[in-house]
Amino acid sequence: MNALSPPGISAAPLLRGENLSRSFGGGGWFGRGRPILAVRGVDLHLARGEALGVVGESGCGKSTLGRLLLNLLPPTSGKVVFEGEALDALPAGKLRALRRRMQMVFQDPYGSLDPRRSVGAQIADGLLIHRMADATGAAARVAELLRQTGLEPAHAMRLPHEFSGGQRQRIAIARALATRPDFIVADEPVSALDVSIQAQIVNLLADLRSELGLALLFISHDLHVVRHLCDRVMVMYLGRVVEQGSAAAIFAAPAHPYTRALLEATPSMRHPVTAAPLPGEVPSVANPPSGCPFRTRCPAAESRCAEAMPPLEAHPADASRQLACWRAAELA
Amino acid sequence: MLAFAARRLAVSLALVWVVATLVFLVIHMIPGDPAELLLAQGGVAPDPALVADLRERLGLDQPLWTQYATYMGGLLQGDFGLSLQDEHAVADEIALRLPRTLELVATAGLLSVLIGLPAGVLAGLRAGQLTDRILSGIAALALSIPVFVIGTLAVLLLAQKLRLVSAGGYVPFATDPLRHIGLLLMPAGTIAFGLAAVVLRVTRGAVLEVLEREHVRAARARGLPAGAIIRRHVLRNSLTPVVTVVALHLGALLGGTVLVEFVFNWPGLSGYLVRSVEARDYPEVMGIVLVVSAIFVLLNFLVDMLYAVIDPRVRQG
Amino acid sequence: MRRSLRRLVLPAGLLGLILLLALAAPLLPLADPVRQNIAGRLALPSANFWLGQDEYGRDVLSRILWGARVSLSVALAATIIAAVIGTLLGILGGYFRKFVELVTVRLAEVVLCFPPMLLALLVVTLLGPGAGTLVVSLGILFAPAFACLAYAETLSARALDYVTAQQALGAGPGRILLRTLLPNIAPPLIVQFSLTVASAMVLESGLSFLGLGVVPPSPSWGLMIRGARATMEQAPLLLFWPCLALAGTVLVLNLFCDRLRDALDPRAGGGGPAGFLRRAAALPGPALRKDATPGLLRIRGLTLEITGPRGPVAVVRDVGFSVAPGKTLALVGESGSGKTLTGLAVMGLLPGAVRVASGEILYTSRDGATRDLLRLPEAELRALRGRDLSMVFQDPSSSLNPLLRIGSQVAEALPRAPGRMARVVELFRQVGLPDPEGRARAWPHALSGGQRQRVMIAAAIANHPRLLLADEPTTALDVTVQAQILELLAGLKRSEQGMGMVFVTHNLAVVAQIADRVAVMYAGEVVEEGPVAEVFTAPRHPYTAALIAATPEGEAERLSAIPGAVPQAWAMPAGCRFAPRCSEARPACAQTAPPLQSIGPGRATRCLRWKELA
Repeated sequence: MNALSPPGISAAPLLRGENLSRSFGGGGWFGRGRPILAVRGVDLHLARGEALGVVGESGCGKSTLGRLLLNLLPPTSGKVVFEGEALDALPAGKLRALRRRMQMVFQDPYGSLDPRRSVGAQIADGLLIHRMADATGAAARVAELLRQTGLEPAHAMRLPHEFSGGQRQRIAIARALATRPDFIVADEPVSALDVSIQAQIVNLLADLRSELGLALLFISHDLHVVRHLCDRVMVMYLGRVVEQGSAAAIFAAPAHPYTRALLEATPSMRHPVTAAPLPGEVPSVANPPSGCPFRTRCPAAESRCAEAMPPLEAHPADASRQLACWRAAELA
Repeated sequence: MLAFAARRLAVSLALVWVVATLVFLVIHMIPGDPAELLLAQGGVAPDPALVADLRERLGLDQPLWTQYATYMGGLLQGDFGLSLQDEHAVADEIALRLPRTLELVATAGLLSVLIGLPAGVLAGLRAGQLTDRILSGIAALALSIPVFVIGTLAVLLLAQKLRLVSAGGYVPFATDPLRHIGLLLMPAGTIAFGLAAVVLRVTRGAVLEVLEREHVRAARARGLPAGAIIRRHVLRNSLTPVVTVVALHLGALLGGTVLVEFVFNWPGLSGYLVRSVEARDYPEVMGIVLVVSAIFVLLNFLVDMLYAVIDPRVRQG
Repeated sequence: MRRSLRRLVLPAGLLGLILLLALAAPLLPLADPVRQNIAGRLALPSANFWLGQDEYGRDVLSRILWGARVSLSVALAATIIAAVIGTLLGILGGYFRKFVELVTVRLAEVVLCFPPMLLALLVVTLLGPGAGTLVVSLGILFAPAFACLAYAETLSARALDYVTAQQALGAGPGRILLRTLLPNIAPPLIVQFSLTVASAMVLESGLSFLGLGVVPPSPSWGLMIRGARATMEQAPLLLFWPCLALAGTVLVLNLFCDRLRDALDPRAGGGGPAGFLRRAAALPGPALRKDATPGLLRIRGLTLEITGPRGPVAVVRDVGFSVAPGKTLALVGESGSGKTLTGLAVMGLLPGAVRVASGEILYTSRDGATRDLLRLPEAELRALRGRDLSMVFQDPSSSLNPLLRIGSQVAEALPRAPGRMARVVELFRQVGLPDPEGRARAWPHALSGGQRQRVMIAAAIANHPRLLLADEPTTALDVTVQAQILELLAGLKRSEQGMGMVFVTHNLAVVAQIADRVAVMYAGEVVEEGPVAEVFTAPRHPYTAALIAATPEGEAERLSAIPGAVPQAWAMPAGCRFAPRCSEARPACAQTAPPLQSIGPGRATRCLRWKELA
């Protein structure tokens, strides 16, 4: 039925994340180890058929956010609402049943497939778990999915190690699509792949999205890829969202100093990097700076930036965009 | 580093306490009355009056927690109770025999590291070549022969057939130092035989694995000569797995002395233990098991400290 | 895999034979193992008693075979109990964590606090000797080892994406545990199982030897050794037989374990000895080349091979390029293109499995002499490493020895002289490491990824090398840190006069930023070479063009992908290696392998149709 729904974006949000936070560690026998705040107070919403890109460097919490949205990790605080139902309030059985409608594609195509089971069996898993097909029905659907993702139905009998990285990623996508989900989290699905293969997978995801009307949360550190695939972009730094808005607008005129630095630092074949690189490195998540997390590296930082975290507010010139910067108005 | 040591020590002491409690509970919670079991000779039901008398003597007629408190209080003062057979203090007998066993274990451990470590490094550096095949073959063989078989065969061959050494026994060091060492070497060598094979195999594997690491390649790219690479970048990094495995085998080593002391008539803790087990002398068995387990736990604590000395990352905890 | 399975046949066969003999003991025409015959006391082997008679005149052969039954059944029963209980506890503890973990795994750890023999003796004290007691005590003894192993394996397996994927699919814990986790943690447990059987046999015989295990007159190897010990001076053979049986069985079991481990874990089992312990050069022949025209580096016809299942496979074929002093050449290609191996071949740091088949790597040193690095003996090549030639690797966190302070590691590159540490600090300052004095005494784990890469670069430039090889030095780093490292390298090129650089990367955009010339590699061959600006604006090989088009940059609505995948090294197409994926291929392309031909000043391509396509 999803295949019949028209492509494009409808107004009603499919999924909402409200004030999501997640910390790791802490506690322990002797009270050692401060908790690490991987994601801090993130709000987001995703409409049916919409593609949202989440961008940031290591330690920004983008992968954790993806897992929070699917409730593969329970949030420390905040909640995820999928079509009006709060996931953390659902009993385990209901949550498992709801998983039919939201799926995940992982970064490492070698680690995400069980090395001991045929790819056909793994693609059929979802169908059988949710009793959407019997054995023959599942086999037919597996063949259809393999064709849809650019593989051959005969491949169903083979084991994962017989495939290349790009083919495995196609298999992982086929597995995610099996139960006809409405929403897919793709966690860096192309960063382990070679450039020529990366383009194949990006195109496949773009095609599937318009064909099936999928909502997509696309996590990546590669700005160029996000720009190709996503309607909207969210830039994260050290667990917080620092800027979000339409992809076109952010790439044309990045507003947050971090977004700017990130775009400038990304090497390009066409226009060489001229700006001086950002100093320093991302601070440790275990010991984040006070106030704005980016202030230690920010070329525009002032004393007030160290005092409090700036709230995520509307862009002074463009109400459809938001950014978290005390100096947003001056820098715009 | 100090905080790390303190934390590990606290865990070790807690473990000793858990072990002591466990030993107490196991002895007291099993079905059947120890006093009855002790007096039952050849399936004949013992005289109830005798049983009652023994129960009172052992304090078995008191509530469990009182017994536990008495037991723990005794432990804290180094009192392990009296033997059921001849009423001597268990602690005294342990104090007499424990040093002999520890001497044996220490000598065996030292011998096995002195032999196994260099041989393992050599086998690792020459992997696949004749030297390695010979050394690894010997190690595989040594690992497969149980320690009491080696001991018994050694006694047969070296003592009875060739008359090179005496078959066993013990002479205090103060009485005759040379003879003491001579008598020590046979049982210690027997234990070391198998343990050296373990050390060899682990060292060989560790060296092979470290040789493949990136930092060795980076050191080569810096133009370091082979000797310096092995010394600075291979040996030290290979030590961590070796320490791990030797620590894991310490338990087997401590246990293995039971058999070796038996074979060589070495009057250590183990002969005492076997005798106590045969006689089902609960205070003796409890005392010995407790002391040896505590030593084992503390040895593991020392091994943890050793890790911290080798690897700076461990110190951060 | 097949070889390791073949190696398993011998121990498996022997093991089968032992099991069969033990099973068949009641069916064989053996004397009663417990019937005494005082007349035949300590008799030597005879026609009726093949292995002789023991101190009570009992048949030794019969007692050995019946003893095998006892030993093996006690060991197997105990191991099965230990394996089932331990695995269950370990998996549950590892999967559910929290409370279950606390109960199961901590309990196992407490049991492990007792030395094994001691624990067995404790159980014997409580239950009295006998085979049943043995099974119980050995089961308790070995269960914690299974629990800890299953726990550790479960912990590492449940962090794997394919387990998370099952969760994401909506699978329940039962399904995940049984269908996904258990099969994947089974191999180490199987090895542990056979290892435990061996240990259980040794322990059982040891206890019986002490008289605390199997109760006489039941035959047991440990008891037989105990009995024979008393009479070993008169009848040493009596001691020999049970010892042989016991040691032989344990040896077979251990051998079986080793081979089983190799068969289940194909990664284990090292290859040959480490490459750098060899003294010889990669290729025979004189290294000094008086005829060659001096240049910094010139590689010609480099072919590297690995040994595949069906003979040698060329992973790098006929690679050639040159680097001029002060210039940077980028070696660009996708995974499997052979770019990294080519770099390692220059340094003489190829892994043991890779062999140089042919070619030459001509390097002109400071004295103006040109030498072929492939024919240079290891000792002389080593003298060049770290001085004339140096290298920076992809992963800065594994390139530093975690156990040595970074200052001391960088100092290794410098000659022993007073003031060495001062020079290290100076180098750290040069590569932009914050707090250089303090950093020299820091451990590698205290540094961030970018700082570690700066340390590696400091070591590489310590002796003002003439050629710096950088193998994907920024791939493991974040974009903003990559920009810093690229700027550092560009700055070094200016300050280190005349230093040439080979920069290995998969990223075309990085090439555009750092290199003067580029050599594009595909499937082990250089397919195009030339100045960066020219190659990128007017590629003369369809692969280069396709790679540029596939790079996600620019405004195009849709990326142009290259269909298919890089062929495997042992299944290379006969003709042009790119032909099967090339949109411009013609039948001729599939037949002849095109040579790398010069197509203008400083430019070359390996395409038959370059003229038509230009």
